[in-house]
Amino acid sequence: MKTTIQPRDERTQPSRIIEGYPQTPLRNPKQPLVKRAPTLSELTGPVEVAKRVKLLGGDIAGHGDKQAIGQLIHLKVRVLDEDGAPVGGAVVEVWQANGAGRYIHPNDDEHAPADVNFYGAARVVTDESGAFQLRTVKPGAYPVPTRDGWWRPPHIHFSLFGKVWLSRLVTQMYFPGEPLNAQDRILNAVPDAAARESLVARYVPPAADPYNALVFEHQIVLRGRAATPEQP
Amino acid sequence: MISTAEATIGPFFPPRYVDQGANDLTVFDGRKARGDVIEIRGRVMQEDGTALENLIVEIWQADTQGIYRHPADPRHAQADANFLGWGRAATDAQGSYCFRTIKPGAPEGRLAHINFMVMFSGIMRILKTTMYFEEGSDPVLLSVPSERRKFLIAKNNEFNIRLRGENETPFFDD
Ligand SMILES: [Fe+2]
Repeated sequence: MKTTIQPRDERTQPSRIIEGYPQTPLRNPKQPLVKRAPTLSELTGPVEVAKRVKLLGGDIAGHGDKQAIGQLIHLKVRVLDEDGAPVGGAVVEVWQANGAGRYIHPNDDEHAPADVNFYGAARVVTDESGAFQLRTVKPGAYPVPTRDGWWRPPHIHFSLFGKVWLSRLVTQMYFPGEPLNAQDRILNAVPDAAARESLVARYVPPAADPYNALVFEHQIVLRGRAATPEQP
Repeated sequence: MISTAEATIGPFFPPRYVDQGANDLTVFDGRKARGDVIEIRGRVMQEDGTALENLIVEIWQADTQGIYRHPADPRHAQADANFLGWGRAATDAQGSYCFRTIKPGAPEGRLAHINFMVMFSGIMRILKTTMYFEEGSDPVLLSVPSERRKFLIAKNNEFNIRLRGENETPFFDD
């Protein structure tokens, strides 16, 4: 299976330097990025990462009588390529703050309480239909150390391995109807409104759910299309 | 479909995702890969020269014969079964990363090289670059302006990455 990668519409991707995000002007290139024609090296990639890393289940809201505090949610995600074809067997890494807006990370010791029953991270593999599921709590918002009124809205981080090196993606997912979405400097660094909208999960009206949780659906599109087979 | 927008990995990427041994590509499934074992080291610095701790570096490379463990490589069936070609490392307090790997063979039409990715808080899109062992004729290296190519050549397997500013590492617009 060969994959092709086309250049992206710049407006669908975040600007690299963001006003009010003081690290960005120090850590992103000043020189123009170098254009290259992808070769086999970039159009192959690690498709067997699952054999190299430790998988962690997709249920991170606690077990038995040790349940994480917060709004229980069931997140159903599908991973597709740019043709809309499912990307099965993809390793997905997930991390998020707890219901109070605190991460399990030494960098986060600031304001919100830890939750010993909240796991904070999942590492799963998509099934043949490109799907994976999470049972978690809705992450809380948190203030950014810039201390100028910037709060991150509730969001979940994803890192994904696609079919080729250039499909590798790190992204964030947001929740619908959150007032903080409109002023978030990271979400709004993406100029195209439709591209921003596609970062927001879809709320599914309550129905019978195996986890008895609020359900959200989301879609992630990795770069790459199936190459047209060469004529013999 | 439009590919999903990237975002920074942020400051809270779980340390447990840098699995123990993920920066050692010479052993896979308990078995040793073929080829010459090398250690690639380097520092990653931001514009003011500050070393960056807990920055994530990932690499992807061919095996000792220049074959990629991937179905798109026509020689994929002959790839070293004990070599995955992918690794991940986090930088230490001095901003240094280290990989133990196999010196890649030269893939067809290319010089021997290792693909790098850098992810960190404040990096809004994954930064991609390529490390070479020597200068020469290679389509990706030749696409870099000639005065900047030297920043892609490792010296004694040391490959420093300057994200911005003086001696800035060339990154690719993929
Ligand atoms: Fe976050």
